[in-house]
Amino acid sequence: MTRRASTEPFDTNPLSGALPLSRRRLLELAAAGSAAGLLPLGGTNEAKAFAYEPYPKDDELETVVTSCAHNCGSRHMLVAHKKGDVIVRLSTDDGRYQKDGFFGKDTEEEPQVRACLRGRSYRARLYSAERLLYPMMRVGPRGEGKFKRVSWDEALTFVANKMVELKTKYGPQAILDQSYAGASYGVLHKSDQIEGLLARFLGMFGCRTSSWSVPSYQATTFSSRMTFGTIEDGNEDDAFAHSKLIIMWGWNPAYTFHGGNTFYYMRMAKQRGCKFVLVDPQYTDSAAAYDAWWIPIKPNTDAAMMAAMAHVIFSENLHNQDFINRFVLGMDQGTMPDWAKGKENFKDYILGTYDKTPKTPEWAEPICGVKADDIRKLARMYAGTKPAALKASWAPGRNAYGEQYNRMAAALQSMTGNIGVLGGCAEGVGKAFHSEAVAYPYDQYANVWYASIKSDRWAHCVLNYPNVKREEVGLWPRQDNLDGVIPNIKGIFWQGSDWFNQLTNINKEIEAIKKLELVVCMDSTITPSGIWADVLLPIATHFERHDVALPWYKGHYYIHRPKVIQPLGESKSDFQVFTELAYRLGFGPAFNPKANRDYFHIDDNVDEAYLREWWEGRVMGNAAHPVTMGWEEFKKRGIYKFHLHEPHVAFKDQIEKGIPFQTASGRIEIFSTQLAQITDWTKTQYGYEIPYIPKWIEPWESLNSPKTAQFPFHLISPHPRWRTHSIFNNIPWLRETFEQEVTLNAADAAKLGVKTGDVVELYNDRGRVVVPVYATERCMPGVAVLHEGAWMDLDKNGVDRAGNPDFLTLDEPSPAGAFAYNTVLCAIRKTTLEHKPGWDQLATSRSHVFRRDL
Amino acid sequence: MANEKDKAAIKEAVKRKKREHYVPVVPDTQLGFIHNNVDCIGCRACEIACKDKNGLPPGPRFRRVQYVEGGTYPEVFAYKINMSCNHCAEPACLPTCPTGAIFKRKKDGIVDIDSTLCIGCRRCEAACPFGAPQYNAETNTVVKCNMCVDEIDAGRKPYCVMACMMRVLDIGPIDQLRAGTYETKARGANDEVVRQVRNMADPELTNPSIVFVPHSKGKVG
Repeated sequence: MTRRASTEPFDTNPLSGALPLSRRRLLELAAAGSAAGLLPLGGTNEAKAFAYEPYPKDDELETVVTSCAHNCGSRHMLVAHKKGDVIVRLSTDDGRYQKDGFFGKDTEEEPQVRACLRGRSYRARLYSAERLLYPMMRVGPRGEGKFKRVSWDEALTFVANKMVELKTKYGPQAILDQSYAGASYGVLHKSDQIEGLLARFLGMFGCRTSSWSVPSYQATTFSSRMTFGTIEDGNEDDAFAHSKLIIMWGWNPAYTFHGGNTFYYMRMAKQRGCKFVLVDPQYTDSAAAYDAWWIPIKPNTDAAMMAAMAHVIFSENLHNQDFINRFVLGMDQGTMPDWAKGKENFKDYILGTYDKTPKTPEWAEPICGVKADDIRKLARMYAGTKPAALKASWAPGRNAYGEQYNRMAAALQSMTGNIGVLGGCAEGVGKAFHSEAVAYPYDQYANVWYASIKSDRWAHCVLNYPNVKREEVGLWPRQDNLDGVIPNIKGIFWQGSDWFNQLTNINKEIEAIKKLELVVCMDSTITPSGIWADVLLPIATHFERHDVALPWYKGHYYIHRPKVIQPLGESKSDFQVFTELAYRLGFGPAFNPKANRDYFHIDDNVDEAYLREWWEGRVMGNAAHPVTMGWEEFKKRGIYKFHLHEPHVAFKDQIEKGIPFQTASGRIEIFSTQLAQITDWTKTQYGYEIPYIPKWIEPWESLNSPKTAQFPFHLISPHPRWRTHSIFNNIPWLRETFEQEVTLNAADAAKLGVKTGDVVELYNDRGRVVVPVYATERCMPGVAVLHEGAWMDLDKNGVDRAGNPDFLTLDEPSPAGAFAYNTVLCAIRKTTLEHKPGWDQLATSRSHVFRRDL
Repeated sequence: MANEKDKAAIKEAVKRKKREHYVPVVPDTQLGFIHNNVDCIGCRACEIACKDKNGLPPGPRFRRVQYVEGGTYPEVFAYKINMSCNHCAEPACLPTCPTGAIFKRKKDGIVDIDSTLCIGCRRCEAACPFGAPQYNAETNTVVKCNMCVDEIDAGRKPYCVMACMMRVLDIGPIDQLRAGTYETKARGANDEVVRQVRNMADPELTNPSIVFVPHSKGKVG
């Protein structure tokens, strides 16, 4: 469905008068006729800009509302302006498209959902040279990157035969599902471990090993489940506008955006007098924009600093005892369950009752590199400001024992009573307002698996099979005879994921992938993972298939995603590919009940039927938030924005109405009843013991460990702004705005004898990468920052010239499953090796000169 | 590209241009930009929107978000200055153009280049103190921001402004922006605006149509 933008309500020259158009003025103009206010053209030389015709203006093009589609948690509107079957340019929400909308409408209740720089660059990705247009099969050794074009029939025949062979020879665990949300977060076409199409396809086929730990936020997933009994611990984005204090703990919304209009509501908070604090090894753009008090902290020591804050709050009696008594389990002696009265409670731990180590600010200072007085000041500030949001973000959890940091944050949030109140915060995962999100058949066949492992242990499993213990790979327990059976992984499917480039310790992965017998990559472009595949299947982008989008993280709206253009080349949707494969394997009708085998060639009616049924049934029939807009009107407008009568705040009902939390005790479990009762840890998916109350545990490497003698820098690898993980690394527009570079403190750089722009080598026992330096005062000494997601580019010695930090990371997850992406020591030296920012020859350019102390 | 041009028309244009003495056009309303240096997160959505709108290859960047940082660890600061073409009241580029390709619109003061007349001599590029005109080697012309005249004429705002996720970039009549009487989200309730920030060319040179909400470290004088 497309709609033509109408210019009728708009004055042809509103800027001659009052701008922005107020609602009243707009109505006046509409009444007066659209020509009102037009000034006579002045001068003789009124040539057009870009006079080289044809320069199509927006209003001469067809307008189609759609959205961006990558895995950042946000989801914003893109408006395609197309001519024929070509998208000429993209714009974004300007207030016109929603119900009762008009150009410029942008209220606090219904803000525009404006796309970020990545979304705005989508046209360059859609038409990029890296697009996969035809099925291809490997001709050289795996990883060499040589492929030949084949027909769909040849490619799918090969895949189907190989799947049957693997299942027959190696059993129901032989194929590893490494689908992820890289290419798609739609309600119908979805790549994901749990709700994804591949999970259902392999499950129905009867051969699937699943990857259970989430690379981004497994620590906080664990923490939120243990503490609150749910991962939906998030407030909606607009709730941030109501805080008086926001502590951004390892959180950089200026880079990650984090759903809806989070960053913008935080600006509103600032204008209303909210104070900001940043606890982070870097002085980020968020710190600058929100004028935050920056507390630099050594990576991986966050839980220690939080413990010290808890000590200050307890010892100065700043905690909210009433809240603790009513809602919390195990915060102190009085709130311990009867059966565990003799066990250590959180206050005991903080005050050092048993271990004789009070977790004072002075205790934390040498661990964290934060002055005791600053810890004290922040603790008092947090306990004394109401309401205050301690936003414990994901990055500090991507660590050895990262779950302790998130559990410790939950303890601070509850002892100060900042949970369930507007302006407070229990995040955590931060998943907020929940909308209906699955339109394909999500039934008893969805997410069937025969083994499930910690996601970054697959290479370890493959390389050491069968001499692998279940705790080494984090094998999820089962109730049948497959419990404890180590999977003999012989094949991998990548659906919308570039995991080979994104998981830890890539050199180990390279060894492991050589042992596999089938590697299938389904994606819209070639990716570093695709280079290692046997079969490349070209997948239609979200511009080329029908779907509905919504943010999975924050933001309350649906965006319609029509088939804006026909799929390029021979590309097909994932759903089409799986359906055709299912027919070849004998379960086609069960896999896609609304389709017949023609679906591979014509998908429009089937997709429409799924989406309509979902919208009219689940979305309009949702008990908590029914949508009244019909499917046809939604398709015509392109967007539906929910009207919430107040900002959604997690656990508000629990606090205000006394509804029990979803934990076993019905309370906020700082003392975890589940963890306290585990006796054999090897039989759990964690594999190793996790304390039942939050504790500071020394990570296996950090700036405090002796290993710094050899590897003096602590490497962290946060999300970049100019990529969504690895997606968009190939976009020249984005690449000329930012560089893949290692950020170092200026004094460290001076010691290494390097300055901004010099090329260095980062190395440790696991790998070597080559990148330029950015030397700045904005980074803590001893810390090196290298953003994740650069497309690996190996030289003949196995050195990565692109600067992908995952050649240095360790494939040793935290017990709770958190990837230890940020637990890495490395050394740095100046090098003559070449840095290659991308696979093409495009030179990256810095847009500006960094100026210091003007 | 240059080969395809109408050489006779260019010769005519040069002749006409030589006879003229440049008097800056006084627009009926001068439009200008406002940018909040502090609240800008430097995301560059505006830059990419501009690239897409104008179909630019890597190279020319009409809009440039410049990062400024300073201080000594841990007492540091950072802010952004966001500029495209400032559509100056007395544009330095305009009189340098040998063919008269550069012109200033009477109705709103937008400075634009008629690319059919541009011969790619790059004199304007050298003259502009802000780096607005930029050479596009693919077309052998100089190109620059025209404030999305097509959008302005359609009653909307330029792509960069409509892209701003933080609502810190806006346009409006420059006299009202300077006086602080123009209603815009770019300026907070207590924010003052200035014509110049540190390390920016003296606005007396060309009288650029832009104001900033400055960072405390970016104030001049």
